[in-house]
Amino acid sequence: MKFGGTSVATLPRWQNIRELVASRRAEGARVLVVVSALTGITDALKQLCAQGEKSKRNEAAKAIAKRHYELLDHMQLAMPETLGTRLTELVNLADDGSAKLGELAWQAQVQAHGELMSSALGAAFLSHTELPTQWLDARDCLAAIALPNQNERTRLLSSMVDSRPDPVLAARLATLGEVFITQGFIARESHAEKGTSGRTVLLGRGGSDTSASYFGALLKAQRVEIWTDVAGMFTANPRQVPGARLLQRLDYEEAQEIASTGAKVLHPRCLSPLRESRVPLLIKDTNRPELDGTVIGPEVRAHAPSVKAISARKGITLVSMESVGMWQQVGFLADVFAHFKQHGLSVDLIGSAETNVTVSLDPTENLLDSDAIAALATDLAKVCRVKVIAPCAAITLVGRGMRSLLHTLSGVLAEFGQLRVHMISQSSNNLNLTFVVDEEVVDALLPHLHDLLIAAGALRTDDSALFGPSWQTLYGSGETSGTATAWWRESQRTRLLELAAEATPRYVYHLPTVRQQARELKSLTVVDRLHYAVKANTHPEILRMLVAEGFAFECVSPGELRAVSEIVPEATPLLFTPNFAPREDYVFALGTHATVTLDSLYPIEHWGELFRGREIVLRVDLGRGLGHHEKVRTGGSGSKFGLPLDQLANFLQLAETHNVTIRGLHAHLGSGVLDASHWGEVYAQLASLAERIGSVAFLNIGGGLGVPSHPGEARLDIAELDRVLREVKAAYPQYQLWMEPGRYLVADAGVLLTRVTQQKGKAQLRYLGVDTGMNSLIRPALYDAWHEIVNLTRLDEPATALYQVVGPICESGDVLGTDRRLPEALEGDVMLIAQAGAYGKVMSSPYNLRDEADEIVIE
Amino acid sequence: MSKMIQPRLTQLFRFVRCSYADGVAELVYAFDDGEELVEQIRFPNPPALQAEYAAAFDAALKLLHLIAGVSYYKAGIPPKIEVATGPLDDATAELLDQLYLHGLAEFAYRNGLDLRGRIAFPRGGTTHPVGALNLPKRTLVPIGGGKDSLVAVEAIKSIGGEATAVWVGNSALIAACAERTGLPTLNIQRELAPRLFELNRLGAWNGHIPVTAVNSAILAVAAILYGYDSIAFANERSASAATLEYEGQQVNHQWSKGYAFEQLLGDWLHTHVASDLDYCSLLRPYSELAITRAFAKLTPYFDVFSSCNRNFRILGPKPADRWCGQCPKCHFVFLALAPFLPKPRLLSIFGRNLLDDEAQAGGFDALLEYQDHKPFECVGEGAEARAAMCALSQRPEWQEDALVARFRSEILPQLDTTQLALEPWLEASAEQRVPLRLRPALATIG
Repeated sequence: MKFGGTSVATLPRWQNIRELVASRRAEGARVLVVVSALTGITDALKQLCAQGEKSKRNEAAKAIAKRHYELLDHMQLAMPETLGTRLTELVNLADDGSAKLGELAWQAQVQAHGELMSSALGAAFLSHTELPTQWLDARDCLAAIALPNQNERTRLLSSMVDSRPDPVLAARLATLGEVFITQGFIARESHAEKGTSGRTVLLGRGGSDTSASYFGALLKAQRVEIWTDVAGMFTANPRQVPGARLLQRLDYEEAQEIASTGAKVLHPRCLSPLRESRVPLLIKDTNRPELDGTVIGPEVRAHAPSVKAISARKGITLVSMESVGMWQQVGFLADVFAHFKQHGLSVDLIGSAETNVTVSLDPTENLLDSDAIAALATDLAKVCRVKVIAPCAAITLVGRGMRSLLHTLSGVLAEFGQLRVHMISQSSNNLNLTFVVDEEVVDALLPHLHDLLIAAGALRTDDSALFGPSWQTLYGSGETSGTATAWWRESQRTRLLELAAEATPRYVYHLPTVRQQARELKSLTVVDRLHYAVKANTHPEILRMLVAEGFAFECVSPGELRAVSEIVPEATPLLFTPNFAPREDYVFALGTHATVTLDSLYPIEHWGELFRGREIVLRVDLGRGLGHHEKVRTGGSGSKFGLPLDQLANFLQLAETHNVTIRGLHAHLGSGVLDASHWGEVYAQLASLAERIGSVAFLNIGGGLGVPSHPGEARLDIAELDRVLREVKAAYPQYQLWMEPGRYLVADAGVLLTRVTQQKGKAQLRYLGVDTGMNSLIRPALYDAWHEIVNLTRLDEPATALYQVVGPICESGDVLGTDRRLPEALEGDVMLIAQAGAYGKVMSSPYNLRDEADEIVIE
Repeated sequence: MSKMIQPRLTQLFRFVRCSYADGVAELVYAFDDGEELVEQIRFPNPPALQAEYAAAFDAALKLLHLIAGVSYYKAGIPPKIEVATGPLDDATAELLDQLYLHGLAEFAYRNGLDLRGRIAFPRGGTTHPVGALNLPKRTLVPIGGGKDSLVAVEAIKSIGGEATAVWVGNSALIAACAERTGLPTLNIQRELAPRLFELNRLGAWNGHIPVTAVNSAILAVAAILYGYDSIAFANERSASAATLEYEGQQVNHQWSKGYAFEQLLGDWLHTHVASDLDYCSLLRPYSELAITRAFAKLTPYFDVFSSCNRNFRILGPKPADRWCGQCPKCHFVFLALAPFLPKPRLLSIFGRNLLDDEAQAGGFDALLEYQDHKPFECVGEGAEARAAMCALSQRPEWQEDALVARFRSEILPQLDTTQLALEPWLEASAEQRVPLRLRPALATIG
């Protein structure tokens, strides 16, 4: 069991260690505890080493001793002899300086005292609390080996240890006791000169974890436990992707790859000693020992290949070297790489083509603050064309059998297709796939890719043996999201089965859910006016309900304007926000009381007189400045929406000419956004634009509020959204704030009921046919949208079958859900497709002339 | 209750009154007989005003009233200007005539107006010469969040000068920069008359105003109130260059940052407020390139500063939260820093490589004055930008980037290569009004 610096720095943490050790003892295990130095002590010892003056070194040594005295005091322990000896030694070392031992050996000796002292202290504490514990000098157990590529510095400060099993040591310990405590980070040279004991050496970064691994391997331990401040490795960095899932099982190679490409919880080098001896490693959270943690061991039992993690490393610089026909000359590459060595730059990834070799450099001080890159480019320019590309980020997907997953990655690859990908690299060990992209896209991209991987079935979070809860669920603030039971699962299930018995396919809308969503949005008191984007669902009952809740309405066509006008009272504010609408649409809309939005130059340029004396809203495309958000589809030059900012001046001039007043500015990012900060960005950018246009009174930041579809996915945090919007409002109090949510209000309120028609097996795949498909619900085919599908007839039966749920339409794309774990189904079973309240019925079509689904509203 | 007015049809702009009490200055204006427009300027923790400073304070406050009026005057640009306290002395009227004409030149150009002959402050009043007040030997340094003021701050710090970092208005960016300087800070608040927004909605003229002049006048009041003998701006040499000429009139986006205004205001303060209150720009002798070279050594500011004119009011941790990457300021600062910083460091500041983005070609062309006029922004001279670009085009780590390559193949062959050296830009010129006490700081920049 290994405990790090913060775990050994205070009395309560030591009490915690004691309990954990005792619980292992109770399970009958013999325990070896490996500890780091108290937090901050290793740094203090390094600083001591850097002091030239003896008096300052002595002072530093005193301060270090004081930390240990204080902890002893808290533990109410007398000074144990073992610790006293160490403290005296440290004083002597500080006093002598490096002259006697030589600089590096002295440094190693001094720094080793952090662990020597903490372990001595721990031994005293554990024994005192009736857990007899033997103090063990790690240097008598771990023998450093000399390797040919080592210099004196790496030999002493970043050493390697022979990790072959050592039965002699195991036998020796067996005679000594049941519980031991020893030091991480330190070892001893094995080949000492005659008559001397070998010098003390250090294991370098991540040394304590590595010590634990060495001991595990030497003793052929049952397992190695790394106790830290988090439950294990996650599918992504939780700071970037709060929905990252705990990885419960990994094999050594995968874990090593994840550790190397980003995860900080484990140093990659601590896995190799265990691989030979096949000792499993367990990562556990000291504060939450009840959590499962991550088990890293030999290849896990058979399971579907899956991406295990996605990580990003930023600050990468690429050097692209272009040359015709030079690469095949013997020694050319060697010469090129010699330049990198000469300028102190270490190469990480390499990609090559016939005429190009591109390499990546990690962000070192040498790279950022010296002339190294300029000098390198100058040298390289003599033999090839050089291009320095930065700042980049490497995004790595890790998972065993990556190549067999490629077919599932099409959605993910399509996302990369929209970006500048500078390099793709895949190692021959088939464990990773790395894309080097522009750094600026990474923050928004990573959570999106994580979602896409899950949606594409490449990250099989449905396999509960491999994937644990999300970081958000384990450590996030507030209530765990997504736990509220859907209305159709319990309270309305019987009713739905009755409705399905009457007829299928059939949409059913649950009005209380619409009301609940509407009220939730109304809690955003910072928003001055909420419009319901009626295109999501124009059912009259839903419109009436939202009128009652005080919503305004947003329409995109004369048809919608007419439909809404028939139902809502005359005074209800309407917003007309069409795209590429013909002239007569504007003529029609201007004849109503709707506020009209223009989103291009053309109408005001060619039909300017139509708008004379009118107040309008201008929809702008904030373009790339906004950050490459996932659904860039309604922003950025690839989308047909909005006035590009470079045409704004022209638009303003035309508005002036036709005496048109721009009363509002509007932008809409895209759909399904779950990150509150995005609206803050839109809002702030619109406000800064509005300041240049005196007439603007309100800003419409659109909708696109996401509704999570996968179980466990975090809901949009409305309180956070409110906070973000308030922050912007405080900066620009002169503008009213409008929003136009659609799907958020109605998606969860609707389900599509359909019945099982037949089944088919094809190779390993099992198709489950239902009586409607893309003619009723096109979102899965159109957007790869993921809708939860359940067998409502057999909701309580175990989900043992893996189905492809398909409809009856003559299109191979008529698939409602792939790889769904469901109970074995029978003809006539009622299947429920969830979250069908938005863009369901309104997008349905008569294709294949199949009967359309009818619509039922329930209270 | 209020009479609706059509701002563009007004006939008279009135300076109604100004007052000061408890740290708040109130500046009152009106159009015709319309409702009063009341602007407030708030000075934090105001000390009691010393009696011997009272006359100087009143003079500074009156000038602030007159200068800040430009924000309101421009809403209607009526043909007549009236000052309630009576006609101004000739020097004051001249200062204001110049400021309103030149400071609003871009505004006039954009709106297709001609202000020549329209702006005439009432003259014929008298004034008495003022003496020295023995103001404390310390300096107000306005901070803008960009590189220039930070270079000025570091120059004053390097000679052990006593200084306070001051800024007007709410800006998280400036606050972050000011804090990073380690100097004492002073944040003055300016609240425009709320009715101005209403006028805007009623169709007021809108556009660029000489905001540096307004801030300068605010700082003159602050210098007397808190006791400072100098106000050191960070306006560089190229601020004096016109952006374009329009129907015979020079249009300079940054006229109030130029040397002409510095001289006018500096002299006016000496004769009307206190002979020992100095107003100057510490960077006046230097080109943008010389200043960026100085800034390139100030690593601690790299992750807080921004010159981007999108003026993000809400800051995030990413470079894209401080640099839009699309405006002339982003383009210029990127280009001007490039010759003086390791490439990966520069790119880490901006979070992207603007010179490797074809979409930015138009923006950089404007800076180079290639196929376009200089943009209406506080950016360096075209020749300066060309020198920086030329330097990059000779550097292997830059020359393959899209816009640098384009410069080499398309633009460079059309240029006179004898005019493209970087070095001459790094030399200081003689033009400056820096007081003796601060001269040594001037020398640390070049």
